[in-house]
Amino acid sequence: MGIPSSRDLLATCVWAAVTLAAVAVSDSLFLRTILGAPIVFLVSGHAVLRAIGIRTTSVSEHLAYAVGTSLAIGIAGGFALNTAGFLGPPGWAIWFCAITIGAALVADSRSDAPDLPPWPGPVRVRFWQGAAIVLALLLATGAYALAVRDETTYRQFSYTELWMLPPAGDRPGRLTVGLRSAETQTHRFDVEITIDGRLSAVFRSLTIAPGETWARQIPVPVSATSQRAEARLYRPDDHRLYRSVSTLVPRT
Amino acid sequence: MTRAHLTAATGTNPLQTGVQFVSAVIGPDLHGGSSDAPTRPVSCEWIAALCLTAAMALLLVVAGHAAGRRSNDMAPLLFWSGVVLLVVPISLRTGWPRVARGERLFLLFLLAEALFYCKAVYSPTSFIGHDEFLHWVAADDLLTARRLFLSNPLLPIGPAYPALEILTTAIVDLTGLSLFAAGTLLLVILKGTFVAGLFLFYEKLSGSPRTSAIACLVYMGCTTFAVFEAMFSYESLGVVLCVLAIAVEVASRDLDGRPRLRALGLIALLLGALAVTHHLSAAFAAIYFGALAGFEALRRGPMQIEARFAVGATALLAIALPFLWMEAHGNLLTGYLGPVIEGGFRTLLGKIMGAPTPRSEHLGPPAQPLGMRLTTMVAILLLALGLATGFFRSLATTAPSSARAGWRPIQDILRRRWRDGRILLLTLLAFGFPISVAFRLTSAGWEIGNRMGTFVFIAVGLVVAVSIVHFWQGREPRGWRLIGPAIALSVIVMGGVTSSALDPIRGPYRVAADQQSVEPMGIETALWTKQWLAAGNRFTADRVNRLLLASYGRQDVRVKIAAGVDTARLFEAETLGPDDFWALARSDIDFLLVDLRLCTAPPVLGFYFEPWQVQQGKPLSSDMLLKFDDIKGITRIYDNGWIVIYDVRGLHGNS
Repeated sequence: MGIPSSRDLLATCVWAAVTLAAVAVSDSLFLRTILGAPIVFLVSGHAVLRAIGIRTTSVSEHLAYAVGTSLAIGIAGGFALNTAGFLGPPGWAIWFCAITIGAALVADSRSDAPDLPPWPGPVRVRFWQGAAIVLALLLATGAYALAVRDETTYRQFSYTELWMLPPAGDRPGRLTVGLRSAETQTHRFDVEITIDGRLSAVFRSLTIAPGETWARQIPVPVSATSQRAEARLYRPDDHRLYRSVSTLVPRT
Repeated sequence: MTRAHLTAATGTNPLQTGVQFVSAVIGPDLHGGSSDAPTRPVSCEWIAALCLTAAMALLLVVAGHAAGRRSNDMAPLLFWSGVVLLVVPISLRTGWPRVARGERLFLLFLLAEALFYCKAVYSPTSFIGHDEFLHWVAADDLLTARRLFLSNPLLPIGPAYPALEILTTAIVDLTGLSLFAAGTLLLVILKGTFVAGLFLFYEKLSGSPRTSAIACLVYMGCTTFAVFEAMFSYESLGVVLCVLAIAVEVASRDLDGRPRLRALGLIALLLGALAVTHHLSAAFAAIYFGALAGFEALRRGPMQIEARFAVGATALLAIALPFLWMEAHGNLLTGYLGPVIEGGFRTLLGKIMGAPTPRSEHLGPPAQPLGMRLTTMVAILLLALGLATGFFRSLATTAPSSARAGWRPIQDILRRRWRDGRILLLTLLAFGFPISVAFRLTSAGWEIGNRMGTFVFIAVGLVVAVSIVHFWQGREPRGWRLIGPAIALSVIVMGGVTSSALDPIRGPYRVAADQQSVEPMGIETALWTKQWLAAGNRFTADRVNRLLLASYGRQDVRVKIAAGVDTARLFEAETLGPDDFWALARSDIDFLLVDLRLCTAPPVLGFYFEPWQVQQGKPLSSDMLLKFDDIKGITRIYDNGWIVIYDVRGLHGNS
């Protein structure tokens, strides 16, 4: 015997309205996820299933169909909102709210709507069983956190980036030279900049820590022909040319 | 019953004995009864214990990945002990007789989500699979432009199937989650829904939760289940909609009147969504429903007009909707799938006929550890055994109930008398399994075999489950009949994991190995381009760096320099010849990215740029890659010791 109630329809309407309000006024990630994810995955589909009048025989069947229907509604929404030029947070909130409330009203007006499937009987969970399940959840979450930490901290390659960019529209007559360290320890560097082979600027003993960025804008002389600028990076510890980059300075 | 047959055979000639033995093994006798034995209530002891076991297994898997990153020898031991600890206990319990339906379903969810977890912790902070990058870029474009159908040079057919991107961006917009978090949440829900849909489908078809649970476990032995269908890719969504559509259809088979019409409405909704989601899943649905309508038309015996109409209407929708969608958006499918299918069939047929081996086959498959290969092979053998012993039994389950003795059920089916065309269709579809394995033995056909597996395993699951329930275990299994098939199921699921990826353990950087080539240095270089060059510059690079530039760097990446000039040709030449120089000069490419790590080893997948590149397998040298240093008009604007970016705008006077 199913559940012959329409309270679920009222709940879906309230859920949809609250989600719409949350998207309109709140930036809270937590609140919007708690409200928004179920409406994309379940609530709207449940309302449409009830409106169509699909009879399901178990909760698992009803949930699976509701998720599938929600996905289909979301996909249809994408095309509808694209046509309306309204693909954005307010558009999505209005779409799901309108579909959910509209479907709930249709479902409520039906005289031959099938009942909801019966809920399975209560399962007796002992304390240790509950504790084991909670412990399992904590272990899995902790393991994921460890994986995230390992992913973000482990680096196979250590290196130093050197770059030189030509003058751009917002900085005419100026080259950009930059340096960023992804080494494992702090290093000292010398940078030499030449324009058409002539020394233009030198920066000695730049101390760059891992993760640190150093960048400068270098003025270039006005010229009727394009010039070739070059930046060389040396390690003073071993007097080695470490990196070399270049760019073209367009004629002015 | 098997024993009775064998006893009766004593005293007859050896040929007759042999025939009787084979008949007893592969014949259509059903020993498992038509319904499950009474079950016990849901066992919370088992659920709690298995949750804890699964969590410990996942911890081992994470430790395996961490060790793998550092090239530690313990990595395989940690990872695979975790996978065994995860798969074996849950598989054993799920396939066990007399377990409650709800418990079986919960354990299937647990296993499916835990396998997804194993895939997720490979790269826990971002998408990493080749196909994932393609859809990530499309979703990012959709979020930026707020428009559908934007071109995607990395996946030209992608804009015609934007459903995955639509749903992901809907979640992002409603919740404020990042694209990765929203995509992962969507995949978690899809995995659970897929297992639920598959379970319901098998359950309605077989009338037995036990058969259904075993069939779902067998499906998890599919090569695409653990990784490919867990990717942020349109197939992950397509296969869920497809399974839900066939599950709703089978659930509505006994309805009539308005309830059947309503079910048809839901199927139409799901098929409509499927048509715009994924071409191959939609094609499978069209084949399935079309063939089902054909079988129902062929079937003799009483059948209501209404039922015939419903099956016919479903077939019409399943065939017409994808076709109309394809026509509305230009037929890109032929150009996208055509060469793959043609190449695969040509290679396979050539192999069968003894034709000379094509160039693509000289590379050979990338090597896997022996243990993984052995597990996959044993799993394939077990599946083959299950199919051999389940084929006629599966057919017998749909024979008219009055004809279940000896080969009579099969005779009835040959006379076009069956109860459910779906079982007949799926049993015949299981023949696709050996074909998919044959395709996977060739490099050119591997893709076809892999994609076929996703759908063929729906049929394989049913046939092997019938074999286990009605032959290997029977109604009251004890001793080896109880343990043996349960262990075989675990091996089949393990085979799904071992065949899911070249190396499922995270390891150090490898050359041209797709996800194994993605690491922080390449990512940070791509991020540098976005920060210092701004987004939207036209870049070209090798296959992996192209993905990183398009996703992290938001650059406009190109697969070709110009019409008919592939990227590979530009990079693989010893010197830049006049043709390539002029092609580059006349192109609109702004920057070239060169990764010198490509010179350190041969490409793992056999190519650095694209599968169709000319010089497959030939190693690159640093001279080839650094030849741009000496070209007037090209400047080296970025260098980190491994990765170099060249500015080629000077060639076409934009600088």
